[in-house]
Amino acid sequence: MSIVELSHISKSFGPVKAVDDVSFTIEKGELFGLLGPNGAGKTTSLRVMLDIFKPDAGSVAVLGGALTGPKKDRIGYMPEERGLYQDIPLERCLAYLGALKGMRPAEVRRRAETYLERFELSAYKNKKVKELSKGMQQKAQVIATLLHQPELLIVDEPFSGLDPLNTQMVKDVLLEQHKQGVTIILCSHQMHQVEELCQRIVLIDHGKVMLYGDLNEIRRQFSVNAVLVRTPVELPSLPGVEMVEPVNGAVKYHLAQGTDPQDILQALVASHVPVEQFEIAMPTLDEIFIRVVQRQGAAA
Amino acid sequence: MNKFWQVARHEYRRHVFNRRFVFGLVSVPLAMILLVGLIFLIISLENDTTAIGYVDHAGLLTNPVPAPKPPAPYRQVPMVAFASETDAQAALDAGKIQAYYVIPADYLTSGALRVVHVNSIKNASSQQFYNFLGTNLLKGTDPAIAVRLVKGADITVQSADGSRSLSGNDWFSFVFPMIAGIGFIIAMFISGGYLMQAVVEEKENRTMEVIMTSVSPGQFMAGKIVGDTCVGLTQILAWLLLIVIPILLGRNTIPFLQTIRLSPQTLAVLAFIMLPSFVLVAALMATIGATVTEAREGQQMTGLISMPVWIPYMLVALLMSSPNSSLAFALSVIPLTAPVTMLVRDGLTILPVWQIALSSAIQIGCAIAAIWLAGRAFRLGMLRYGKRLSWRELFAHPA
Repeated sequence: MSIVELSHISKSFGPVKAVDDVSFTIEKGELFGLLGPNGAGKTTSLRVMLDIFKPDAGSVAVLGGALTGPKKDRIGYMPEERGLYQDIPLERCLAYLGALKGMRPAEVRRRAETYLERFELSAYKNKKVKELSKGMQQKAQVIATLLHQPELLIVDEPFSGLDPLNTQMVKDVLLEQHKQGVTIILCSHQMHQVEELCQRIVLIDHGKVMLYGDLNEIRRQFSVNAVLVRTPVELPSLPGVEMVEPVNGAVKYHLAQGTDPQDILQALVASHVPVEQFEIAMPTLDEIFIRVVQRQGAAA
Repeated sequence: MNKFWQVARHEYRRHVFNRRFVFGLVSVPLAMILLVGLIFLIISLENDTTAIGYVDHAGLLTNPVPAPKPPAPYRQVPMVAFASETDAQAALDAGKIQAYYVIPADYLTSGALRVVHVNSIKNASSQQFYNFLGTNLLKGTDPAIAVRLVKGADITVQSADGSRSLSGNDWFSFVFPMIAGIGFIIAMFISGGYLMQAVVEEKENRTMEVIMTSVSPGQFMAGKIVGDTCVGLTQILAWLLLIVIPILLGRNTIPFLQTIRLSPQTLAVLAFIMLPSFVLVAALMATIGATVTEAREGQQMTGLISMPVWIPYMLVALLMSSPNSSLAFALSVIPLTAPVTMLVRDGLTILPVWQIALSSAIQIGCAIAAIWLAGRAFRLGMLRYGKRLSWRELFAHPA
């Protein structure tokens, strides 16, 4: 069942076409990646989805139709540009944002307490938001987004400004929400983060959809005939290998047409090479993106 | 609770429970107390209590009775009789008296007096001498009549239907609407300023993108405007209490305070014209906040709103001379000039009910339209970080 359906959306700001005929659907319970470089049109697509902007053309269906007031209460949105009231204490800020999502005061207090504890912000709940560090404000923003237990969670660049520990904490929260059946849209320009978390993606560049579908399927489509081998010793030269490329301490064998990766494995075993890692080299999303953009450039 | 009320409540609490608001609340009465203190100081400086001499050639001040005590804060000036002008001149030269009056023998027929002084005599002092002279001329007359004669005429102008009257003693009824107007305007622009700043801040700190996924722009802006109007009304109420409590406490001791009362017409103007105007100004300030990029830019633009509000005070002489003229009527129905015009006219004339109703309807209509406009400006301008929304875009762009 589709939770979000964008159909041929276009949106311009003056002469700039921010989104151009974008279509994709997001199924219930999936962790969906909205990808693209900076300025690709991801945030505009989200804002159209959330009825912050009206599209110039196309239609949007969220939670089974047009986005109404009660439906907004079922959505948690964390924008790229974080926004919390700076001049009031954190607890009051959360209470207000929770109340705007239709929560009762007691309920807000109880849930806020739990999340503040988890994000190690309990000691700061009476401090004004502006007195918190940037990382703490980021975590507070995550709490504000999750407080009302949304069915649809939309997070725009959730890891920006976070240290590795807090990045992991946010990832854990997203995965936990995903396990609980929450539909998540993860919007990011950091392709490796999306690669790690999402099953399906849409990749937008210059306002247009470049790639859309199952992530593994996309990677398979763009896979090249290559294997990645990691050994503690120097690798011998092998038949059927066209090019050898060092990759992060391992070696990537680019195979000649007709060479089977299994032949390479057998050759390595026959040569008594102690193999620590052997895998079919799948392209990363970064590599796929570069290839798509180059292909697009060549076509133009 | 409805989200509209949540926004209004948040907005109200955010400003009222704030040091800046408390400072604003206290500063205006403090400024008024300072002003009154300054007036008293000027009066006391004006009030020279050095004696005044007189040489009575007419024999009118033989065995004189003292003049009635002057009203506070004036202090009584002693009157000293001199047998001759030479003696009086010597006392003046010695600085014992501030001036002396020579009452000629034919004073009762000529009515002419001569006053001799080194430095010009203050009005308050000369008035005390005239009161002293008047009291003694009326010696033997019924004391009540004597007091009335010394006090002078008190003309009361009354409307044909008897519903309104105005006299020299009842000046407060005339002055109050003007003071109330100034109070309203100050509160209007203070709370409107809070609102504008809050909207600009919400744009600057990106809060509105989160808010917009919870409430509609119209609901949000209406809640903010109502919340801030309540902030302004709280301010006015606090100021009123600071005025009313001393009036009630001093009513029995200060006779003037007993004359103070508000007419139903004044109350109608305050409730049906000032209140919607308050909302109108708040909504326009919010609209400015939604279109500009920083608070300073917004403050410069508030002149566009404050200028028409103050125009009736600039034309107050015309309004006072002809409170029922076409100009007065026109200013009474034009949205931003109406509140002050109606208040000024309220002190001077009987306002036809239909004019109050028409003006009120226009104010309410404009206030509703301004709330709608603020919502629209908010929607169009909220995500334009660092870029101003032009008025043309505000009206032409599809929201």
